[in-house]
Amino acid sequence: MNIIGPDLLIFGVDDVQACREFAADYGLTSSGEHRFLSLDGTGIEIRAKDDPSLPAPLDTGSMLRKTVYGVADQASVDAIASELRKDREVITLDDGSIESMDDHGFVLGFQVTVRQPIDLPAEAINAPGAPAQRGVNEVAVTKEDSPKPRTLSHVVYFVPDAPKQEAFYRDRLGFVTTDRFTHVGPFMRPAGTQDHHTVFFIQTPPHMKGIEHFTFHMGGPTDVVTAGTNMVNKGYQSFWGPGRHIFGSNWFWYFKSPFGCNMEFDADMDLHDDQWQAREAMPGADNSQVFLLQYREKWAPMGPPPKPEA
Amino acid sequence: MTKRVMLCHHGDITDPGAQGFDPQQQGKDTVFVVRQGGHYYAYADICPHYGDTSLPWKKDAYLDVAGENIVCAAHGALFNIRSGLCTSGPCQGDALRPIPVIHESDGSLWITLEDE
Repeated sequence: MNIIGPDLLIFGVDDVQACREFAADYGLTSSGEHRFLSLDGTGIEIRAKDDPSLPAPLDTGSMLRKTVYGVADQASVDAIASELRKDREVITLDDGSIESMDDHGFVLGFQVTVRQPIDLPAEAINAPGAPAQRGVNEVAVTKEDSPKPRTLSHVVYFVPDAPKQEAFYRDRLGFVTTDRFTHVGPFMRPAGTQDHHTVFFIQTPPHMKGIEHFTFHMGGPTDVVTAGTNMVNKGYQSFWGPGRHIFGSNWFWYFKSPFGCNMEFDADMDLHDDQWQAREAMPGADNSQVFLLQYREKWAPMGPPPKPEA
Repeated sequence: MTKRVMLCHHGDITDPGAQGFDPQQQGKDTVFVVRQGGHYYAYADICPHYGDTSLPWKKDAYLDVAGENIVCAAHGALFNIRSGLCTSGPCQGDALRPIPVIHESDGSLWITLEDE
């Protein structure tokens, strides 16, 4: 089950135009009629909620209609199809991908991944004691910076039975639990990535079932804060952040969105392999972040210009 | 002590439509007014899901496209415009905190604030 991570999230939304503007301002690039993509080709698809091509919605009205995973090769697609056909319907679509459902009714797709290799430097910093990461005379920032999301990172779902969801993703799709919040749910990564998580499941009452947020990886913490500041300056409203999580260590900044869920910028997530022992912590503010900052309008400690000499 | 604060003239809000206000000058909107069918409904701009986050994804984006529901953009909760009751979403069954609107004969809309 060599699943790499999410390739595409398909939404059926109330306000298509607002979602398209939001996606463009977030930094995704319009591609074809419905898609907005990050630098490696992963992204989102925006359709009207009554578009007949969409899978049926959850009964809660969540706007996420399908999560499409990228896998390593056709053999992996076939292996997933074979596994899921043991107890549920799996259909093959015209594009060669397969479509099925998890145990909570979230529609899933699996395809040979569309992710393209990207060759970009990480945020480079200079620190005493370490070799300089930026060259002499190479400046780090300008006021005009407009960083782009690099790849679709992870999705968080509200689910009424987190243990059941964890068992399905572990036993049927080969995901590994990297950490968990007690009585809340697991962070999980599929076998084909070392990212700390591509999913996090949050135990909630059934009427909340749906997407909680989704996010793309940025090039570093400065990209997260710069991209978020650009969003604020365009009139978008912050939900939580900027800050840095503990589980996964990723920097975060969440914005409310017209997708009926939050949309995050994240960066610098921990990597893990099978040697990693999952941690567990009680949920709450203290265990979810090492620090939380809050945006304020630009300000500087200075008074008016000096009066001219008499 | 209480004080009356004027928010706007009723013609400033489309029908249906909504607008956020910052009557206590906190640097962010804390109250919003929805106009629907010639009626005005004001609520505190706080989603009952977490109890300390505001609703819209951008200024004044409080309604769905059809203008039939108040929407919280964080997780898509829908609220009845007249009652403020959450009909779908995380806080289903909870309600927005209503604020009485005073509609003067000159068309101005006012609310009453507790004076701190």
